[in-house]
Amino acid sequence: MELNRRNFIKFLVGGVAGIHVTPLPWKLTDDSAIWTQNWPWVPVPPEGAFATESTVCTLCPGGCGIEVRKVDERTVKIEGRTDYPVNPGGPCPVGMGGLQLLCNEDIRFTRPMKRVGPRGSGDFKDITWDEAMEALRGRLAGLREQGRPEALVAIDGSPRGSTQALLLERLLMSMGSSNYTRIPSAEDTFWMAGILMQGNEGPMAFDLENADFILSFGSGLLEGWGAPGRVLNAWGMWRGEQKGKTRIVQVDSRASNTASKADRWVAVKPGTEAALALGLAHVLVTKNLYDRAFVRDHAFGFEPWESSDGKRRAGFKALLLEKYAPSKVSRMTGVPAAEIERLATDFARARAPLALCGKGKGDLNGSLYETMAVLALNALVGGINRRGGVLVHDKLPLDPFAAVEADAIASAGLRKGRLDGAGSATFPFAQSLVNRLPELVLKSRSTPVDTVLVLAANPLYTLPGSGAYRRMFEKVPFIVSFSPYRDETAMMADLILPDHVFLEKLQDVVWPSGLQYPLVGLSRPVIEPLYRTRHAGDVLIGLAKGLGEGVADNFPWENFEEALKERFKGIAEGAPGLTSFDGSTPPWETMASGGDIRADYESLDDLWEKMQSGGLWFRPAHAYGVRNGLFKTPTGRFEFFSTQIELALEEQSQHGGTDEVLARMGVSARGDEACMPHFEEASSGGDPAHYPLILVPYEMINLASGWIPSPPFLFKTIFDNQLLKQDSFVELNPETAAKLNLRQGQRVMVESPAGRIQARVSLFEGAAPGAAYLPLGLGHTAYDEFLKDKGANPNEIIEPARDPLSGLPAWWNTRVRLRRI
Amino acid sequence: MEKGPDHGKHRYGMVIDLDKCTGCGTCAVACAAENNVSVRQDESDKERSISWMQIFKITNGKPYPDTEVSYFPRPCMHCEEDGHGHHTSPCVTVCVATATKLDPNSGIVSQIYTRCIGCRYCQAACPYKARYFNWWDAYFPKGKGLDRYLTPEVSPRMRGVVEKCTFCHHRLMRAKTRAYAEDRREIEEDEYITACTEACPAQAITFGDLNNPKHRVSRLAKSPNAFRLLERLNTKPKVYYLSTKDWVRKLADNYLPDEFKPLS
Amino acid sequence: MENQAHSSDQSTKGGWLFFIAGFIGSLILGWVIFPMALYSSQPQPMNFNHALHMNPDKVDGIEGDTETEKCLFCHQLRDDGTFAGIPRLEKCMECHDDPESPLGSTPEEKDFLTRYVAEEKEIPWLSYYRQPDCVYFPHIAHVKMGKVDCRTCHGDHGKLEDLPAYRANRLTGYSIKIWGERISGLKFNTWDRMKMDDCAECHTKKGHEENNACFVCHK
Repeated sequence: MELNRRNFIKFLVGGVAGIHVTPLPWKLTDDSAIWTQNWPWVPVPPEGAFATESTVCTLCPGGCGIEVRKVDERTVKIEGRTDYPVNPGGPCPVGMGGLQLLCNEDIRFTRPMKRVGPRGSGDFKDITWDEAMEALRGRLAGLREQGRPEALVAIDGSPRGSTQALLLERLLMSMGSSNYTRIPSAEDTFWMAGILMQGNEGPMAFDLENADFILSFGSGLLEGWGAPGRVLNAWGMWRGEQKGKTRIVQVDSRASNTASKADRWVAVKPGTEAALALGLAHVLVTKNLYDRAFVRDHAFGFEPWESSDGKRRAGFKALLLEKYAPSKVSRMTGVPAAEIERLATDFARARAPLALCGKGKGDLNGSLYETMAVLALNALVGGINRRGGVLVHDKLPLDPFAAVEADAIASAGLRKGRLDGAGSATFPFAQSLVNRLPELVLKSRSTPVDTVLVLAANPLYTLPGSGAYRRMFEKVPFIVSFSPYRDETAMMADLILPDHVFLEKLQDVVWPSGLQYPLVGLSRPVIEPLYRTRHAGDVLIGLAKGLGEGVADNFPWENFEEALKERFKGIAEGAPGLTSFDGSTPPWETMASGGDIRADYESLDDLWEKMQSGGLWFRPAHAYGVRNGLFKTPTGRFEFFSTQIELALEEQSQHGGTDEVLARMGVSARGDEACMPHFEEASSGGDPAHYPLILVPYEMINLASGWIPSPPFLFKTIFDNQLLKQDSFVELNPETAAKLNLRQGQRVMVESPAGRIQARVSLFEGAAPGAAYLPLGLGHTAYDEFLKDKGANPNEIIEPARDPLSGLPAWWNTRVRLRRI
Repeated sequence: MEKGPDHGKHRYGMVIDLDKCTGCGTCAVACAAENNVSVRQDESDKERSISWMQIFKITNGKPYPDTEVSYFPRPCMHCEEDGHGHHTSPCVTVCVATATKLDPNSGIVSQIYTRCIGCRYCQAACPYKARYFNWWDAYFPKGKGLDRYLTPEVSPRMRGVVEKCTFCHHRLMRAKTRAYAEDRREIEEDEYITACTEACPAQAITFGDLNNPKHRVSRLAKSPNAFRLLERLNTKPKVYYLSTKDWVRKLADNYLPDEFKPLS
Repeated sequence: MENQAHSSDQSTKGGWLFFIAGFIGSLILGWVIFPMALYSSQPQPMNFNHALHMNPDKVDGIEGDTETEKCLFCHQLRDDGTFAGIPRLEKCMECHDDPESPLGSTPEEKDFLTRYVAEEKEIPWLSYYRQPDCVYFPHIAHVKMGKVDCRTCHGDHGKLEDLPAYRANRLTGYSIKIWGERISGLKFNTWDRMKMDDCAECHTKKGHEENNACFVCHK
């Protein structure tokens, strides 16, 4: 009985034999297998009660209805709503991926912060809301004390007419600064064209679904133009139950999705859309295909007339006949003359033809004369206020708030006028010209701008010629960002007052872009704010109150919600509308007979309560065909010849000849032509000898618009010949590439006089020879690993010229060259 | 009426109208969001990135200005035959772990992640590249907060397993559960549709039971414009496409010269 | 040689004892120590007397002909057919609505009222019967449509006066109720184990073999 080797082995053998009649090895084997199925680092989403809440998406001005699926307090999915008239179904891919913009701490500011590192380093320190508010209040109060409130500038990207935008402008006015500027968009160009030709301030409303021939001048119908949910749904209808009833013709220089999927693609030289529109108008006139009754009874400036000073004026018809014969237009646009004639004939013979404009998505402004030319084309076929045409509406009856009462300091500040010159003699029709700020700040030694407030905007990324804004921001003493996101502009800010993101935020969605009937959506929060952020509207009201008498008096509301509700007073008291949509009959079908709408609410409170559930007020009614008293122009008619342009020129000609004034406005046409839609050859910076290609930035529906970052999900839908690792691709026609000796996938430097960016070459037969196409929406230098340094941002090398007359940036005509690296 | 090889009760299938499809990608995003698909830092590496609903871009190859592009959204085809006449899918026959099966009740090809051993035979066997291997763990870094939007209806995957489109099988379960609550055993046509079907803003996708003649999908699948991808492999996919454009139809298979029969 | 034989004899004598000692040692290790070591033990945040709450005389609303119906009073099926599982505080507060006035006389209830009801704080219950994330288990399909008693899977949990400690497998994280309580793996009652084979066994027995398809229970 001693423990020797032999006995020890027996002990072990006994042990091994014994263990096999215990559960240990078997259970352990099983459990180990299970263990490999449950790695602790693989997330297990918590279960709970499912619920859905409906609201309205605010990621673009389209404002689709969305439904958010929740598990207890967590939001887990965004889906489209069927009880919202804008998009009877799915939203766009950006809205679909929206939760990644809510639940990503690396791209959001989770609390107020102030800058501690150098500008742009992204080195911030946490502060409390009290500290943050006091820092800004102190700065603003200081400006007023120094008697230079006008040194406060705002750059606002909130949707036009939204309550948040109104409050920011109001804060500036109450302070004494007129320097409220907005990020320019197609809406601005539409607004100006509407004022000049129709005398109407309402939004441009396209009766798409009732049209039977849609002629789109570069509008990216499938790239996110207007309200994407609406347009894509209409597209499905045109290719489905209404197959063959509606024809779509796309004028575009590239085989975009819209061009490819349209019934016909008319390939034009980039930037010559206006010439084509006028060429078509010429054919309508010469073939006598235009609506003579409309032109005779409701239009001005078409036929020759004698003006009050006894001069004979030639008019629009003469201009068309003189300059836009198909043979001439063919040379300008590259479209064969026969095709121009055929297209014009088809367009005119359609029952309800509709011409569209707004470049790409319409995130950026278009060309004013081009927009006027397209509007004129619609007018020639009698398409103004006709079913399936361009509808003329008044603004939404949202209460505009009482006029600002400026105290002594504010009045003095306001008298100094606008820095950017919008509304002045040189830019009589512009409301704001953010693109003029950089030169104003950079040219003087002491900047006229002290503090910039940036709301819902990322100018350092989204504006063409973004380098200039970066230089401007380096010089401005104090920058405040309300951005909820760690975007490029916020990285330059001194103070961050983070806003909620959509889904956490109460917002009004004023008239989705391009919609043909009045609609205002209410985007309600569907989740408690995840972080210590604050509604920008509340912050603005709080600031105003903190600035004391004079300013505070203009802000009688406790919070944003109160201000918002006050604006709906106008809706409650205005023309009757509806607060719910059952999804059965689309509004555009019933609009014609909708004159007898009975409001489904009784009072403001009732309306407000109903909007909390449906998130919507709309009025699916329109008096089609009414033209008498419709146009608020000086002549009371649709003006092919804008008397307002004429008047502005006359007023100015006292300080120099009309020609000089026109030159200052950037208009190359002279005389009467400047008052009418016409084509202006793009004046681009680079010398064609050195920069042989035209850079055409293009937009994609599967990348977010404007200042909103793209949800990472979207990168699953980007092809590897659009983005490969850190490189985006410049699309070239194989012929062009062959001339430059470039092959597929090769790395090149895209150089313009303004700078250079790196890209790879993608050969695409659908790219116009002589043009280089780069996508917008990539190339962030901020955010997280999903977005940062992914591709290039063409805005960095765009050298924006000034769009004639409007003064807004002309970003579509930069010349570039490619250098192999 | 041509009877499918599967005589089970339901044969869920899909019809995608390529004339309606605008290539916007909403279906792919909806799919990823619905199914807890991981997003990696570099999604441009298409060999490694995961997209159950993958969109392929095609062009007609004609020179400017006659160029045209179109798109093929490609979910899992849920094949009913392996190409040799057997009632199973090409991926199912090769699975050594019984981790993927052709469900006889629904016609859906299942994929059980906890069962998968990651050998990738199925990936090699799939003619449609519809299967994806998880080279890494799902990317939900701690403290970033991305895991807050995960839905409990679909199990997140670990590295080393294969995943693919399930026709949003959990939505079938959701619909059944709701039906049970309402004392029904059968579900209606629109009660169970996939996330991509629901999301498509152009309503290009139709989903339903191919065995049910009342369902739109079974009518559409018999349209003269309907075709399937790589049809001659005889895998009997349950995803059909519609297109009136011959150049699109021609790209759905590898045709010898003069072999393709145009519509017109 | 002699010597060697002798020594061999020496060691053989009683050598079997070593074998038996090893054998018995392993048995103790495998049957006693291993199960204790494999499972953690965690008390529930507070006690809950199921037996008391299942008594219709004591609790208003706990009615019904079957035990299952009584269970469902608190462990509810939601309107969309999903199962709510362990009730939220909200459900408890349908009766225990006033933190100041207990309905019974137990110290546990007082504790519950002050710690949870007064603070409106959810009770961090530990769930004995949670299936892993890869499993989709619709209670409604079994309880309502399949007429399966709660007892079939959960045993006499509803008769307990005291909540047992929650025990989780240290390796897999699964509750001991999924499989492990009867460490032999033998199954005498339907509720002894809740593994895939157990589900399949029941489906087969009830003639629902089609429900053994992978995607019926997996997600």
